[in-house]
Amino acid sequence: MTQFLEVDNLIMRFGGLTAVDGLSFKLDHGEIHGLIGPNGAGKTTTFNMISGFYKPSGGQVRLRGESISGLRMHEVARRGVVRTFQHSTLFAEMTVMDNALVGTHMPFRPNIFAAIIGWDKDDREGARARAREALEFFGLDHLRDELAGELSHGHQRALGMAVAYASHPDVMLLDEPFTGMNPEETRRMMDLMRRLRDDGITILIVEHDMQAIMGLCDNITCMSFGKFLAEGNPAEIRNHPAVIEAYLGGARHVA
Amino acid sequence: MRNLAIFVLGAAALLALPHGLSFSQQEILVFLTLNILLVSSYRLLTLTGEWSLAHVVIMGVGAYASALYTKELGVWVPVSILLGGATAALLAVLLSFPLFRMKGFYFLIGSFAAGEIIRLLWKRFRDPFGGAKGIKGIDPMPDFSIGIYDFDFFEPVSYYYLSGAVVAVCLWILWRIERSPVGLTFHAVHWQDRLAEASGVNLRAYRTLAFSIASGFAGIAGALMAHYVGTINPNSFDVDLMVFVLTWAIVGGTATFYGPILGCVVLTVLNEIVLREMGFEQMRPLIYGLIMILSILFLPKGLESLVQKFAGKRPGKSDTPERSTAQ
Amino acid sequence: MLDLLAQTGLNAVYAASYISLIAVGLVLIFGVMGVINFAHGELYMAGAYTVVLLYTDFAVPFFVAVAAGLIFVGCLGLAMERALFRPLRDNPLGGLVASIGFLMILQALAVLGFGVRMEHIPPVTQSVIEFSDHVRLPVARLYVIVAAVVLLTALWVFLKKTRFGWALRAAAQDPEAAALQGISISQTARIAMFIGAGLAGIAGALTAPLVSVNPHMGHSVIVTAFIVIIVGGVGSLEGAVVASVAYALVHTFVTTFYDGVIADIVGLSLMLLVLIIKPTGLFGSADRA
Repeated sequence: MTQFLEVDNLIMRFGGLTAVDGLSFKLDHGEIHGLIGPNGAGKTTTFNMISGFYKPSGGQVRLRGESISGLRMHEVARRGVVRTFQHSTLFAEMTVMDNALVGTHMPFRPNIFAAIIGWDKDDREGARARAREALEFFGLDHLRDELAGELSHGHQRALGMAVAYASHPDVMLLDEPFTGMNPEETRRMMDLMRRLRDDGITILIVEHDMQAIMGLCDNITCMSFGKFLAEGNPAEIRNHPAVIEAYLGGARHVA
Repeated sequence: MRNLAIFVLGAAALLALPHGLSFSQQEILVFLTLNILLVSSYRLLTLTGEWSLAHVVIMGVGAYASALYTKELGVWVPVSILLGGATAALLAVLLSFPLFRMKGFYFLIGSFAAGEIIRLLWKRFRDPFGGAKGIKGIDPMPDFSIGIYDFDFFEPVSYYYLSGAVVAVCLWILWRIERSPVGLTFHAVHWQDRLAEASGVNLRAYRTLAFSIASGFAGIAGALMAHYVGTINPNSFDVDLMVFVLTWAIVGGTATFYGPILGCVVLTVLNEIVLREMGFEQMRPLIYGLIMILSILFLPKGLESLVQKFAGKRPGKSDTPERSTAQ
Repeated sequence: MLDLLAQTGLNAVYAASYISLIAVGLVLIFGVMGVINFAHGELYMAGAYTVVLLYTDFAVPFFVAVAAGLIFVGCLGLAMERALFRPLRDNPLGGLVASIGFLMILQALAVLGFGVRMEHIPPVTQSVIEFSDHVRLPVARLYVIVAAVVLLTALWVFLKKTRFGWALRAAAQDPEAAALQGISISQTARIAMFIGAGLAGIAGALTAPLVSVNPHMGHSVIVTAFIVIIVGGVGSLEGAVVASVAYALVHTFVTTFYDGVIADIVGLSLMLLVLIIKPTGLFGSADRA
């Protein structure tokens, strides 16, 4: 049977530097999959290739057996693979509600002629309902008239997820979702992610917070210097000699 | 109910307005009406964060196209004005292929180059564009009567009513677009194009959409102008007018729908009426330039920010997202 | 035919000389201040009118008038920096609008002071260097070529060898890092504005007897300068010089063999092509836009 999401021998070169070198891993439908590795391992580059932000130098990304590598970001998104960004990439100057409404772009595609005449009432209401639903899910509904740029850091991270969630994604690619969150917020966010998974959304997550990753993921892929290192469930990864070596070695370099 | 009263009063004031003015002021009023459409259509493009320097030339495309359709093909003037707008929109779609490979400053300069090339082509090719002398004797709007009022389109008052009606409809459409999900998507493309793209927005398509709609309405404004003035040439659409459009938008402010209109009205009245009446004929560009500099220095968010202050509206809480003139 | 080619080549060298003086100034200002100076053509115009006033009206020796043009326009640049670009440092679009306002003021002042008519300037020298019957170079043009070579070489040495030059280049590359290294941004901005404006001023002063001096003469010059700095790469001084030469060659030859309008179209198309293929220009790497 074909895998749900498959990364096959993915390669990314920047000039002479090979940032990702022949990486392969697979995601099952409805799992939370972690992608970890020391700094500079190429996690974010991999993310950018899956989401269509970079065009891979080689290899393929397949969704339900169909290749999506080399497509532009909005084309990947329209196939149900939606990403969030590192840092707080939001429409900072727009209200929280408007942010979420942009997220409903795919299920409720704007039609300019209908919009001028006023024949898109149902769509507009549908989009608002969906945006409200996404905001409520992430506990942001009471903030919907605030400007996104004025939210607290934790709320901004949650809004980034809400924008992605509003589009009814099949796969969510989360780039360091816990950065800047306090332990309480992290715990609540982990619960929400489990609920997303139970709703049938597949999640691929890049994160530095090892505790969160180990507590949340069903499976973990570890990479180092652009290459595949190990794969398994959290317990296996935690005790994998190559992983320990990579992290300790990395730590020594940092120190 | 209150809104309706304001609307009726406003419409009545606009209808009565030309009768209190001298002939030359009535002529200025016609151009002002067309320029309001020009600058409002320009704002639609700026919603996506791109600033073009080709807008006035594209207005000229509408003017040349409409003039040629009536002259060469015998198209009825009202239809040919709409076709002029359509031609401008279509050309914008074609131009978008090279131009939207660029962003920001490079788009600004690229659009300038594209506009100048079009203008030079008009200048170079006497057939059909008439070369440097342009096209003369463009068919006027056919006169007609609606019983209570006889429209004679050599009269500025009549043409003011006609163009005022057309511009009102165009502004209504622009307003509807801005307040729709399409308008929201334009804002999204401006503020954070990567996130918009990750939400499934086709950036190129939306930039092209904004560019072609803006160009279409600019083309209609140009066509209306051509059939009023009766003669157009490449210098009618030179960079000087583009500079005026830029300053109307920036001095007025582009955060709101009315900002550029406000800028256009205030600066035109100031330039054409106040300074002329005060006998500053020769000094006008000097004072105008000074006003531009002072307003950008001391009112960087535009005249609209004054209105918002007096209306007591907290910026950022309005339905449309705020933007400053700073890029 | 060979004569025609040689003569056209000489014309191109002359054109390249004054274009590069103007374009290099524009690039210098853009590099350090991050703002496109739309009034640059009017600074050129101001240089020309300095010569009209001093040389034509007050019979001051030509080269004294030219030097006065350089200093006067350089000071105009300082005034622009202080009054416009410094307050609008964080608002590039505002800086652009303010420079347009300044352009209108300079143009209006020229109209008020001198009228819209073309100025007649008595020739500085009638002598002509004759290479053959059909290949000749008026000495007045030679002055422009020599001035361009000398000034641009001096600027190059100044930028590469002196502390100010180093500060200027650092500020152009990364203003924040430069400020952290103790480089005074205001001071480098003043130097850049003085040099940039002064170069435009001297170009105007030297070409005044050779072109039609009128209040609107800046317009065509600024368009040319834009083409040149885009093709050369915004922020690259060497690129601006090379692109000036290339543009002058293409434009002069197309003008000679077809006509001026076609030459303008070709020039603008080249710029558009560069923008499409390599927006940072043929030599550019710095991208501050």
